[in-house]
Amino acid sequence: MTEVPELTVENLTVRFAGIVALDAVSFAVAPGTLHAVIGPNGAGKSTCFNVLSGVYRATSGRVTFGGHELTSMAPHKVGELGIARTFQNLALSPMLTVEDNLMTGRHRLMRSGFVRSGLRWPSAVREERLHRDRAREIAEFAGIGKKLAHPVGALPYGDQKRVELARALCGEPRLLMLDEPVAGMNATERHEMAELIVTVRESLGISILLVEHDMGLVMRLADHVTVLDFGRLIASGTPAEVQNDPEVLRAYLGEEAAS
Amino acid sequence: MTRFIELLINGLSLGSVYALIALGFVVIFRATEVVNFAHASLLLLGGYVTAVLHADLGFVGALAVGVLAAAAVGALIELVLLRRAKAPRQVVAIATIGIDIVLMAELSRRLGTQVLSLGDPWREKVVTIGGITVAQTRIAALVVAAILIGLFLLAFKYTSWGVSMRAVAEDSETSALMGIRLGRISMSAWAVAGALAAVAAVFITAFPTPGLDRTSSIAALKAFPAAILGGLDSVTGALVGGLLIGVTEALVGGYQNDLTFLGRGLGDVAPYVVMIAILLVRPSGLFGTREVSRV
Amino acid sequence: MSKLRYLPLLLLLLPPFYLDLFWLQAGLFVMAAAIGAIGLNLLTGSTGQLSMGHSFFLAVGAYGYVYFAGESDEHLVGLGLPPVVAIVCAVVLAGLAGLAFSPIAGRLSGVYLGIASLALIFIGQHVLFNVHDVTGGYNGRAVPPLEIFGFTFDNSGDVAPFGIPFGGLEKLWFVGLILLGVSALFALGVLRSRPGRAMNLIRDQQTAAGVIGIPVARTRAAVFTLSSMYAGLGGVLLALTFQRAVPDYFGMLLALDYLAMIVIGGLGSVTGAIVGATFVTLLPQLLTRYSDSLPLVSPPGTGGVSPADAARYLYGAAVVGIVLFLPAGLRGLRIPSLTPRKETTP
Repeated sequence: MTEVPELTVENLTVRFAGIVALDAVSFAVAPGTLHAVIGPNGAGKSTCFNVLSGVYRATSGRVTFGGHELTSMAPHKVGELGIARTFQNLALSPMLTVEDNLMTGRHRLMRSGFVRSGLRWPSAVREERLHRDRAREIAEFAGIGKKLAHPVGALPYGDQKRVELARALCGEPRLLMLDEPVAGMNATERHEMAELIVTVRESLGISILLVEHDMGLVMRLADHVTVLDFGRLIASGTPAEVQNDPEVLRAYLGEEAAS
Repeated sequence: MTRFIELLINGLSLGSVYALIALGFVVIFRATEVVNFAHASLLLLGGYVTAVLHADLGFVGALAVGVLAAAAVGALIELVLLRRAKAPRQVVAIATIGIDIVLMAELSRRLGTQVLSLGDPWREKVVTIGGITVAQTRIAALVVAAILIGLFLLAFKYTSWGVSMRAVAEDSETSALMGIRLGRISMSAWAVAGALAAVAAVFITAFPTPGLDRTSSIAALKAFPAAILGGLDSVTGALVGGLLIGVTEALVGGYQNDLTFLGRGLGDVAPYVVMIAILLVRPSGLFGTREVSRV
Repeated sequence: MSKLRYLPLLLLLLPPFYLDLFWLQAGLFVMAAAIGAIGLNLLTGSTGQLSMGHSFFLAVGAYGYVYFAGESDEHLVGLGLPPVVAIVCAVVLAGLAGLAFSPIAGRLSGVYLGIASLALIFIGQHVLFNVHDVTGGYNGRAVPPLEIFGFTFDNSGDVAPFGIPFGGLEKLWFVGLILLGVSALFALGVLRSRPGRAMNLIRDQQTAAGVIGIPVARTRAAVFTLSSMYAGLGGVLLALTFQRAVPDYFGMLLALDYLAMIVIGGLGSVTGAIVGATFVTLLPQLLTRYSDSLPLVSPPGTGGVSPADAARYLYGAAVVGIVLFLPAGLRGLRIPSLTPRKETTP
């Protein structure tokens, strides 16, 4: 396992057509910790994720990961640094099997291009075999080892969420970003997913950045919590500290009162 | 200089006709997210119906039937194909190619080697003002296209149809929840697009073009680069794109004797060259919204 | 599963011994179209990138071969290279043409690329009609016959296995089979490994593909280049079969035919491309051959529905019908035991 660097976000600002989605937000994810970003709807959590993974451009500010500046990178360059993410609305290839979907996660670790694959070059065949073995291991680990040959589109929702997570793990990331991993799940599924996340963290020693609405889950799992509201950082600290922060209470209660 | 002004007027006139076609194309794309590859054959259909009937019904009557026919076929495509197809929109777009193949085969068979007149009242008459000579058809095209586009923009902005149309383009799910009937909106988009194409057929085939023949659809196809260089989902883009393509074609065609080193028939190719040049700089067109993918 | 299921493919070796020239030529057209359609299906079916410019690359292949293999005379130019070298050069040339389009092919997605690629047809036709020296202009140009190690693919009658004299088409049949087989296997290899999975993910989830570490634009451009090389090879075989290359043939209608092929056969599948190419290519030939005995179809030139028209109605309607009712294409109707174990579908 290569060393996990720190992810630092400094004064990150994102504007869309005049709307400020993120306003000078700063935080850092210490190596090997589970860091949660929470906040009411529209707080800028997803925007933050999209900037970190290179999907959106930052208007200003810096994001660095082990000496690399991420804000000006194309998405696939960010992926190459060992930053993997899951998507809130599943982003899998529905007609491909679970195994092939996981193999897309290993794309960055493989080398065979069109020519060697087309000609079934021995090095390409060997590489394919090695990586399939590893993808199957990860599938076992994520609890979908028995469904490798199923097309993803035919799986229940909870399993599709697991495939998302497993695909991200297939990239052997140093930083794993989870975008609402338990959204839309029932209590049992939530519990199982939470256990899986704990296992990932304990056995792989990687950093995890988590966006989640389920407060119970966040408070139980996170080492550190950053709270956003209307694009601004309103609190940061351990789960216990954040829970008692008056600003946070106002942001959440305010939202409840309005709804 | 006179020649330049003449060419410019012809180009703007031609461009306004392309804009008319491209507008329908964009309306369909906004309402249904489907690119209608059968658009040129809808135009040919409207033109053919007008050409066949004008001797009996007079120009205006024949054109009315032609417009209705193209609108009806547009609506029919929506009803039969778009509403039922569960395939991704991209695959539905390819299915419109199937419709194009059938319509085009039938119309070309009926046309054979004929060149038909649509019976427009302007014929070969020209107007000369201050030494500048312009065909009446070119002026008529400008006026008619300007009126139709103006009406369309007013409807798009102020009528409930236009508001629904824009709402659907923004977010069809929410619009449906708010009570907008998606089926009706999408069908009307196809009908309007068909009607606009049929009107455009008159000016695509009028003087100085000899008339409607099986290659008329090639001319209609130039609305495709017009639509995409403006931005496939932008009404403004369709108008600007149409004019740009029209002017380019007229100028390059007019000065092609000075450009013979590039080969003959350059006017027909120039629109595509312009399109590529613009897409190289702006992949989503001049006014298109950059694809922001939701993740 | 046993390899025996591939045994029926050996039947494809028989036609030159039994069929007349009409059917041999039709079969070769099918093979050429199938090679082109496999390439288009890699691009459109598997990567989700529409192209209306496929016929341009067929033309580059066909005329590339004619130019590299042909001899110069007072009207035409040619390099007079050995035909095998000319084939390789023609395919490479088609690939370079595709590569040159990569700033567009890489950055535009889906239908946007479809419309932009119309430019290739019109610019291509303009060039073909104006470069008389190479293409022969409106009337086209004769195609030099294939020659492999001094063994010429013409009607010289020097080969007669089992007492059956083999002419150009008989010999070409085997070359066509080999080219198609290699093309199909190569495409399957691509689809079943790293690049194929990346292509599918770009089609299904473009953003996710980028985030996972797949360079989206570069992959799209690479697939476009590969698909142009397939078209180039298809074009070479087409020219060899036709023995004459005419610019007019490589227009918009041909591009639409190829799109029809892949939809009818099944998007994203190699088998589908071959099935679709067979359907679209053989249909007009069958209707022409049997126009006398078919109702509603009249021989060409009599004013009624000609076989070519009838074929267009049928496969145009087939495209619409298949999108509506049979999303996996004709391949979806397959006999289970004949299907390859794994193929990607959209």
